[in-house]
Formats: sequence, structure tokens, C-alpha cells
Amino acid sequence: MRQLRFLAVMLVLIAVVAAGVMPVQAPAQGAKPYEGTTIRAVVNAEYVKYSLSLVEKDLYDKLGIKLDVEVIPLDAFVPKTLLEFNSGSSPWDLIMFGPSNMPDYGRHFEPLEAWTQKLKLDFQLDDIADVYKKLMLRHNGKLVSMPYDGDVHMLFWNKVAYERPDNKKKFKDKYKYDLQPPKTWKQWDDASEFFHGWGWDGTDNKLFGAGASYKPSGSGYSYHWWRSRFFSYGGQYFDADMKPLINTAPALRALEEMVRTMPYYPPGVLLFESEEPKTMLVKGEIPLLYSWTSTGKRVGDARESVIVGKAGFGLVPGAEIDGKIIHRPAITPGRAMAVSKYSKKIEPTMKVLEFISLPDQSLKIVMDPKTIMDPWRVTHFRSEKFRKAFPGAPEYLDAIEKSFPLVVPDPVIPGADEYQRKLSFEITEALAKRKPAKEALDSAAREWDKITDRRGRDKQKAAWGEKMAEMKAIGIEYHPDWAAKAK
Amino acid sequence: MSTLVGTTPAVAVRRVNRHRVGRLVADVFTYLGLAVTLVFFLGPFAWILTTSLKGNNDFFAFPPVWIPSDPSLAHYVGLFTRASGLRYFLNSLTISSMSMVAALLVSLPTAYAIARWRFGGSVFGTFLLVLRMLPAIALIIPVYLMYKTLGLTNSYLGLVILYTVVYIPFAVWLLVGFLRDFPVEIEEAAMIDGCSRLGSLVRVVVPIIAPGMAVVALFSFIATWNEFLFAVVLTGIETKTMMVLVTTYTSGGTDMFYGEASASVVLGVLPAFAVAFMLQRYLVKGLALGGTKG
Amino acid sequence: MRVPAIALKRRQWEPFAFASPALVLIALVIVFPLIYSFYLSLRDFDLSVGSDSTFIGARNYGEALLRDERFIASVWNTVVLIAPSLVCELLAGLGIALLLNRVTHGRPIITALLAIPAMVSPVMAGMAWRMMFGVKYGAINNLGRQFGLLDVYFDWFSSPFMSVVSVVLVEVWQNTPFMMLVLLAGLQSIPQELYESARVDGASPRQSFWHITLPLLKFTMVVGVMIRMIDLTKLFGLIFVLTFGGPGGATETVAFNTYLVGFKDFRMSYAAALSYVIVGGVLILTLLFQFVQRWREARAA
Repeated sequence: MRQLRFLAVMLVLIAVVAAGVMPVQAPAQGAKPYEGTTIRAVVNAEYVKYSLSLVEKDLYDKLGIKLDVEVIPLDAFVPKTLLEFNSGSSPWDLIMFGPSNMPDYGRHFEPLEAWTQKLKLDFQLDDIADVYKKLMLRHNGKLVSMPYDGDVHMLFWNKVAYERPDNKKKFKDKYKYDLQPPKTWKQWDDASEFFHGWGWDGTDNKLFGAGASYKPSGSGYSYHWWRSRFFSYGGQYFDADMKPLINTAPALRALEEMVRTMPYYPPGVLLFESEEPKTMLVKGEIPLLYSWTSTGKRVGDARESVIVGKAGFGLVPGAEIDGKIIHRPAITPGRAMAVSKYSKKIEPTMKVLEFISLPDQSLKIVMDPKTIMDPWRVTHFRSEKFRKAFPGAPEYLDAIEKSFPLVVPDPVIPGADEYQRKLSFEITEALAKRKPAKEALDSAAREWDKITDRRGRDKQKAAWGEKMAEMKAIGIEYHPDWAAKAK
Repeated sequence: MSTLVGTTPAVAVRRVNRHRVGRLVADVFTYLGLAVTLVFFLGPFAWILTTSLKGNNDFFAFPPVWIPSDPSLAHYVGLFTRASGLRYFLNSLTISSMSMVAALLVSLPTAYAIARWRFGGSVFGTFLLVLRMLPAIALIIPVYLMYKTLGLTNSYLGLVILYTVVYIPFAVWLLVGFLRDFPVEIEEAAMIDGCSRLGSLVRVVVPIIAPGMAVVALFSFIATWNEFLFAVVLTGIETKTMMVLVTTYTSGGTDMFYGEASASVVLGVLPAFAVAFMLQRYLVKGLALGGTKG
Repeated sequence: MRVPAIALKRRQWEPFAFASPALVLIALVIVFPLIYSFYLSLRDFDLSVGSDSTFIGARNYGEALLRDERFIASVWNTVVLIAPSLVCELLAGLGIALLLNRVTHGRPIITALLAIPAMVSPVMAGMAWRMMFGVKYGAINNLGRQFGLLDVYFDWFSSPFMSVVSVVLVEVWQNTPFMMLVLLAGLQSIPQELYESARVDGASPRQSFWHITLPLLKFTMVVGVMIRMIDLTKLFGLIFVLTFGGPGGATETVAFNTYLVGFKDFRMSYAAALSYVIVGGVLILTLLFQFVQRWREARAA
């Protein structure tokens, strides 16, 4: 038993020593502008921390600032950060957040304009994708954040699947039209049915029809996939009176199509997060996926992808209304960086924000396949370096640039996170066949009303009124008749 | 051998042989069963260990590779440097050590009061049971709000206080068991010699039940090491524990960061292995009564 | 020599003095927050709305019990997860304990090895199994494919039913050792003479199992099952890592739902009410359990 006692004593010693030594940090000396400053950042996943590590060295070399990055797991991120902010303080200087949550976060951020003037910062705002600038960086009219991640959805397809003459013939025989990358939801659903369960790549493997992400974690994935259908069938989140429109005809059509085509997706799709379907795509197991643009980087990464040079890039499918196809790729949730107004080091943090947003620094971040950050500057789309990064990169970047003007954002009102989660939950309940589609959507609408009441109906109505107008300005409004006539 | 009395020698021998064969079959069955059981319960750890040593080629290999062809500690290095794994490991170590010591310091006198003077009567047992029924959720909200006002979030002290208190009931229960077995006469003898009550506790009782105390200490170490919910909510960047580190890999990380994820699991279960080996003989008594869950 | 009574006389304040540090801490860190929590549950404190709240009495409780579809569904989910887990843990624990009891050499080390799953955090167990359940690169499917048992893409979370199966599997893996230890303690307390005299009387091993072992183990089994049942109602860490309540809401337990309400929706008061509803439910369940036990014992007598 002497060993036990010995061990116990050792642990006690560790405890004492560690308690005394741990918090001490070595001081720095030097001659760079902000030498010795450490800025604390908070992000919501390991790969975001990794992405910051790509620019850390240059940041230190130029400004002498060190970054201390804390990762709070995705599911605890919004609650924990908001809890801190709402109590009037924050241990962090630089905050990564989802622009969809701007209504809840915005008032805790330090506006950028005054500092831009004071420190002569150059954020190169003109270079930012238009829609992002208009919808996602401001709070109460003031600019408070800079984009970090484009987070737009786009379409990816496997060219092998689509170009094999054998496949083309079989498809035409069955569906009576040419096999082409899907432009409408009907074409997408037909293709997923067609490709499911056999070796469309010429092998004997049993492959799958299409990919998606439906896990209820974070703000819930399934609603992002449903949203593109919903809006292309003429849907909208609320009407002018704050009545939820998520259980109307467009909503029902969208959900029912998804439920009906569930068998053509890989088993386990109900718990897929963002990366699993991407892995399947780059390993040649699914021919179709619409997901975040970061997928493209993994497609082009020869270290893991078997479809380098054999992948196609395009717009998320849409609905054909009166001869025109309406595409509504989702932009969600986005990632942006902002400066906490409770920070004691606002000046250096502003410099950090400027630095990581510079075209060449941010290019580094959005080009690396392991970071999952997407391009958001026009210079990213047109960058020679990026366009040479992998075969197909030019088409990829052009598709992103084309997608941006058509995007449909999240409901950017107070409580955005909660609205999305409740809706996602009900959608996955329907997809898991635990509830019929109509019942799920009605349940979601009821939950949305409860949230609105809890937050204050009038306040929400006012906030929504603004967003509705913004969305109308980029062409998104409610069309109850579209669901029936969409092809 | 009473069954053999009154039978012929031949019959007796046959019966003994059948007995022996029966015994042999039973033994084989027993050891086989235990072997399968061991594989089932320890297999996952072995797999996680090999995964943490695998490189990309091995992990993504199809058909599967069980033993890494090129084992390397690269993932551990990455975990310690880029993901600040070392800091979190030390945090867990510190917090659990401090809680363990504090829990002992506070629980020993209390257990003494209960064992010697039946302090509290049967209230204590009921309290223990009710406490076990509480989901951590019930406590976390008020504690978080309290700590926020007191400035105890993101501090070792805050978490240690919480863990100490939550573990007191079990520590006391175990110590009461040990103390009850301790003969009162020795204490009495010490007190006749002029020791105070407390003095006799410290100078006479403690050295002898030290093994028991070490058992309680190690169990409480494990329980606080494993604790998850309070750690996620109440820690910040400086005080984050291993449990929280593991969860940063739960969102979309298991394919891309498989190496670091599995390495963090290996580190997270290390104490369990260590403690299990050291406390072999006390396991039945200790674990069955108390518990090492967080 | 008899010890003078004075030396042993209990001084009134001594027990309190000894127990006071613990009592103070418990009062501050457990009792006070619980009271505060109860107080919160009678208000409508919602951190996302603001820091003010009003008194609303028992309305939270009414909503939880009568109108909250999701909470009621989570109660059902919890039951669906608890029942098979308990049964499997009891049976497997008993089997392994019986096997272990027969071992003479090296029992401590084997016991220690088998106990390890119960000594790791549910989060670790969840993470390890989550990787093992991996569709393409996970150990289980790899094994299955090598033995030709599995199709390439069997997914352990492909449907609500399978998810429940998988969660139960991990739960049983993690906690059977606990049950095993409890039962082992019980087995070791059965006097060997009983078995001896049974064998003398010509009883077969099976008969002595049914008529000696089981009846004498009954109390231990009841205690073990009751403790496990109480622990299972708190199922949270495993869900957080493995399924996050999915697919749909199939594995959303009461504790997980309360977490979502409190920490995602920020409805602290409602979450507090939910936790008290859960505790109340568990209390009733435990009392019922004990009641049924005593009634059966009375009947058997």
C-alpha cells in the first residue's frame, strides 16, 4: 500500500506546484508595433483554430501579436458565448460568430467605422461579395464585423457518373430525357433514384444516389438542405404579421420530396454533419451533393480525393417556374469575425481583424482544404493562384461567384438559432419517419409562434419587417402559387 | 467424499472421474467465457490506441489494417502542440488532484463524526440517495449564475470547490466503512495518553487507515477527471479539461482529425487504467458502493 | 482496565465541529443552489430575453407535464433506453460475476481489467465507440466485413431503432462491469457451507444456483438495479457525443432535453422546472420500486 500513498502524495505535490506555476506566462520584449500583446480569440471548432494558425506567423512577424485561440465545441458555442456577453463581459477580444446570429450578438460588438478612421484600417470592403456585405455584416446600420467564411451552398457532381455512355443510355431509357447535371429538383430526385444501389462508376460496388447532412446538432443541418427547395418553391419564413409560413404548400412539397427520396441516400445520413457526405463524394461513393463550397477544396485535394479533375461544379438545383429556373442556394450560417466591445485591447484586436481579412492572408485561409473556410472576396474568386490550385478550380470559383447573388439567408432575427433548431428538429423527425411531414411542419410552426411570443411579438415583427424588406430587395418573397406549378 | 461411502471402488472412481471431467469442462468454459468478455470490454481501448498511432494510409485503408504498419506519435505531438493538449491534460491533473485532497480533508472528519458518534443518524443515507437522483442539469444553472457573479468561472478554485462538494457524500460513505472497522480501543488508548480527539484522529487513526484513504482519494480523482458537464460550462481557455478537449472533435472531426481525436481519448482513459491496476483489491468494495462517474 | 468514562464522553459540539466544513460546503454549493433553482422554476427567467423575470407560480410545471410534446417524448425515449439496458446489464453482469467467482488465480487483475469501462467517462466511451461505429473506417464494420457478415455500408445509426440499439450497446458495455462488481460482492458474501451441504444432499449445480445463489443474491440484485436505474435517468454525456439526440429526436433523453432547453434556448426557469419534474419522477419511480419489492417479500412470507 506504500505505492498508493506514494502516488497520492505525488498528486498532491503536482496540485500544489501546478496551482502556483500554471497561470504565469512568460513576458515578451521586442520592437514590433504591438509586441508582447496576446489577443484572445474564440472559435467553434478545431478546424477554425487550425485556419488561424495559418496566418499566425505572419501576424506575429508584422505586428508582434500572439493569438490565443479557444475552441468551444459547436453545440455549446452559442449558449456559452451569449451567456458571457449577456452578463456584460467577455474573456475574449476577437469573436468568431455566425452572422445569422447577429441580432443576438450585434450589440456586444465594437463598430468598425470609428476605428477604421482612427487607425487608418483598410478592410477593402468593395472586394467583399455583394450579398454578404448587404445582409450579414451590420447591426443597427453599423458595420461591426468582417467575413471569415463564405459558407454558400453549391452543387457538386461526379463526372464519371454523368459521362459514362452506359449510364447515359440507361438514364434516357428510363426517364426519357438526357442525363445532365441536375438543374431542377425533379432532375435531382430522378438522378438520386437512378444512381442508387449499383456501380455507376463501372465497378461492382453498391453505391448511393446522393448526399446530404441531417444531424440535429449545432443549429441543425437538415433545415439548410430543405431551405433551398422551400424557397425555390416560393416559400418565405414569415409573413408581414409574423405568422410562420413554414407549413404552407411550398414547405410541404419540399419536405415530402425529401422524405420520399430518403431511400436513395446513404444509411446514417440522418446523423451526417458537414464532413461525412463530402468524404463520400471525394471517395467516389455518391455522384451528387450540394453543400458548402469548401467541398470543392477537398475535391481537388489529391491526397484524399479520387475525383480530382473528374468533378463538376454548379448552382444548387432550383424549381422551374413559368419557364425560368429559380435557384436558391443557402448561405449559412457564415462565419464572421468581430471585436468584443468589452475587450481591454480593442486597438490591437482591430489590427488583427484587418490583418486576417487582407486579401492575401484570407486567401491562404480559404484555399487550404483542411480549414473548411470558403472564399468570400471577389479577389478570391478571381485569384490566379486559386484558379490553378486544382483541375476544375476555375469552374468551381466561377460557380461560387454566380451563386452569391442568388443566396437565401437564415432568418436573421433575434432567436435565429432557436428558430432554426426547432425547425431542423421537426424536419429530421419527418425524415426519420417518426412523424408525417405535415404534422412535423405544423409542430414546427407552433414552436415558432411560441418563440416569437417569448421574445416579444412586436419586437420580432419589427426586426422581421426589416429582414423581409432586405430579402425582397434581392428578389425573395412568398409565392403561394409556385408550389403547385413548379416543375 | 461422503457420497462415496457405501459404493464399490469402481463406481467411486468413475464418479470421481466424471466429477473431474465435469470440473475440467466447467473450467475451460469459465476461462473461455472470461477471455471473450475481456476482449469485448477491452477491445475498444486497444483499437483506439492503434488508431492513434496510425498514419493516413493505414486509417483510410480498405480492407482494414489492424496493426499500424508505420506507428508514429505524430498525432500526440499534434495534440500537445497545436491543440494545446498538454495544457488541458495538466489542467485535468491539477483540478482532480486538488479536488481529491480537498475532498479527503473535508470528508475525513465528517466520516469520523458519523462513525463514532452516529452524527445525523440515517439522514445521511437518504441524502446520499437523493443526491444521486439529481441530474447535473439541476445544479448547473444556479451554480453557473452564482459563479458568474462571484467571478469563479474559468478558475481552478471554482471547479475544485464544486467537485469537492459533489464528491463529499461518497467519500464520506466509503470512509465511514473504513472507520467502522477500525478498533476504538487504539484511539481510547491514545486519548488516555493525553491526545485530544482530533489529535488521535490525525496521529493514530490516519496512518492506519491510510490505504483506505488512498482508495477514496483515487476514486475521487477518477470521478472528477471524468466529469463533463460542469467542466464544459464553467471552464475557459486556461482551465479547460481533457473531457472538454475530446468534445471539440465531436463536430465533424472524426474523419479529418481522427488521429488527434483518438489520441485525446487514449490520454483521457489513462487514469482509469492506472487506478484500476492500483486498486485491484479494493474494487469490489469501493466501486460497488460508491461510483466513479462524473 | 476500564477506560474512565470522561475520556469518551461526547462533547456536544464535537461532532458538529468535525462535520462542519463538509456541512458548510454542502449548504453553499448544493443546498443553496437547489433552493435558488426551485425559486427560479417558479419564474419565467429567460436569458435570451433579458435578466428580468416575473413570478408565474406553477405554470412551468403545468407546461412541462401537460403541453410539452417534446419533453413527454423524451420521457418515453428515456424509458426505451433504460429498460433494455437494465435487463442486459443484469444478465450479463450476473453471468460474468458467476464466471469470475469460479476463478482462483489472478482474480484481482481480471476484475480490475474488466472494471475499466466503468471507470472511464461516458464522453470517452462515446467518442471511442463513435469512431468504432464509423461506417467505412470503424472497427466494427471492418471486422464484420472481414468475416463476411456485413455489407459494405452498414450504419449503426441509420434508423431510430438502430440508434437506440447502438446507444444501449455502448451503455451496456460501459456499465455491466459495475453490476458485475456489485453482484460479485454479493456472491462472495454467500457462505460456502450452504453449497457444501447442498452437494452433500445430492443437489446438482443448477439446483444450487436456483435455490441458493439466486434467492440470496436477490437483495444485491435489487440494490444494483435500483442504483443503475437512477443513474440511467441521467443519461447525457453519451448522447451528447454519439447522437446528439438524433436521428430526429429518437435518442433525446430527459436530461438531454433539459440541457437543450437550458443551454440552447436559454430558458433557465423552464429548465429548472424540468429538472425538478425529472427528480420527482425518479423519486416516485424509486419509491414504487421499493414498494413493489416489499410487497413481494411480504407475499412470499
